[in-house]
Amino acid sequence: MRTFITVIVFSLIALNLFGQARRPTIMVVPSDQYCISRGYKMEFESMGRTQTLPDYKAAMQNDADLRLVITKMGEIMADRGFPLKDLEMELRNMEREAAETAMIASSSGAQVAETPIDILKRTAQADIILDLSFDILKQGPHRYITFNLRGLDAYTSKQVSGAAGAGKPSSAASPELLLEEAVLSHMDGFNAGLMRHFDDMFANGREVSVMVRVWEDWYDGDLETYYYYDGVEMELLEHIEDWFFDNTVEGRFSLADASHTMMRLEQVRIPMMTVDRRGRERAVDTRGFVSDLRRHLRQNFDIDSRIYMRGLGEAWLIVGER
Amino acid sequence: MKKTRVLMFFLLFLFVWVELGCSGARHSRSDRRAHYRSEQNYEVEITGVGQDGTKTMKIWGYGRNVEDAILQAKMNAVAAVIFRGVPGGHGAAATPAILRDPNAIDKHADYFESFFEPDGTFLRFLNLTTDGMPSGQDRLRMNNPRGYKVAIYAQVLYDNLRRQLEADGIARRLDHGF
Repeated sequence: MRTFITVIVFSLIALNLFGQARRPTIMVVPSDQYCISRGYKMEFESMGRTQTLPDYKAAMQNDADLRLVITKMGEIMADRGFPLKDLEMELRNMEREAAETAMIASSSGAQVAETPIDILKRTAQADIILDLSFDILKQGPHRYITFNLRGLDAYTSKQVSGAAGAGKPSSAASPELLLEEAVLSHMDGFNAGLMRHFDDMFANGREVSVMVRVWEDWYDGDLETYYYYDGVEMELLEHIEDWFFDNTVEGRFSLADASHTMMRLEQVRIPMMTVDRRGRERAVDTRGFVSDLRRHLRQNFDIDSRIYMRGLGEAWLIVGER
Repeated sequence: MKKTRVLMFFLLFLFVWVELGCSGARHSRSDRRAHYRSEQNYEVEITGVGQDGTKTMKIWGYGRNVEDAILQAKMNAVAAVIFRGVPGGHGAAATPAILRDPNAIDKHADYFESFFEPDGTFLRFLNLTTDGMPSGQDRLRMNNPRGYKVAIYAQVLYDNLRRQLEADGIARRLDHGF
């Protein structure tokens, strides 16, 4: 009896430990408009055209107003259970990581393997980007703030929450006080929007995109080659579509485009949680979801493939070889 | 003479018909009383951006006397931010309701019954900014039904209230499920 009770207690503890979805990371990033209009920008020539990109590092180092707003927002979000990922620290960390990667060497003198793609993908990432811009404007002797905050889901680039508006003009209050007021005024409404997004995620799954492509030297066939599986002979493309129907939340996905060399699947709703081979409940991410498809193709169709992640919410599965 | 009498009868008939027609649209006294006593009849206006975690507002209450009306206004201030939210204004953005479920008041009826007792927990989340009894345009005497409609300026401790409802399992935390 005692053993039975012990097993029950440990099972409950285990469920508590593992049975939770992955907490989204949130980071405030000043909008391109904010950075470029204030001169925090980098310009370079590319294919004969001048490109302008925001210089986040310069913005964080020089703009006291921006730091004030981010600090206030961070304080509010931490109270709501979502400490913000700090952009400035993240940029500093990436610089250090690049330097350390170049310095580390094994006892035989070998360096850490890093492909050009790894270097290209070394960017600050978060599940939800809070795209922020604000202005301190004047109306006669009065000053007022216009505030624009957009919550962008990095997986789908969709806006999941937003808060925008102008504050009350004042001639007495300092700009710092007006900025603080703007944050206090808008954050409750913004968080209500985030709550709606999270509720939708738990009810209908996380929305991601998946692209299936083919290596050009795959001689065994393409996505329109017929394969026999589960008692039915169909094109590989149709077998893959069936797999998505079986593994998405309520079969929700849309095949936006398809040919013999590619399938573009959008609005793929992947479950938040799954039970792995050892019976543990685990959070699902895009890569984990597409890994299951890769395993399915390997085990049932004898097709190798490789996963390539494009950002947090988009994965490519390139079939034909690893 | 006969024409004048016919015209007078016609006008009298028209007057009675119009009166009867209009009185059908009026609310009875009991209807009005029920409206005033309704738990969700919040007449509320935000008065500015509150300090950290608070909301400042002007809110009305009804009562047989001024004291009753003030008590109802206090309850309304807390109830408005829990169940309905407060529209924006005076430079402040709209305040969302803490409970998004429209049936929350019925689901947790027992909890809110004790929460909104005259000396209940709701008083912990309210600071009054009105000094003394409301007067002038903030204190209206009504004849039918007899009583008062008064406005108070209140500061609701929004964040503390939200935390309390989350701790009591009535509201969900933003990170619920993660």
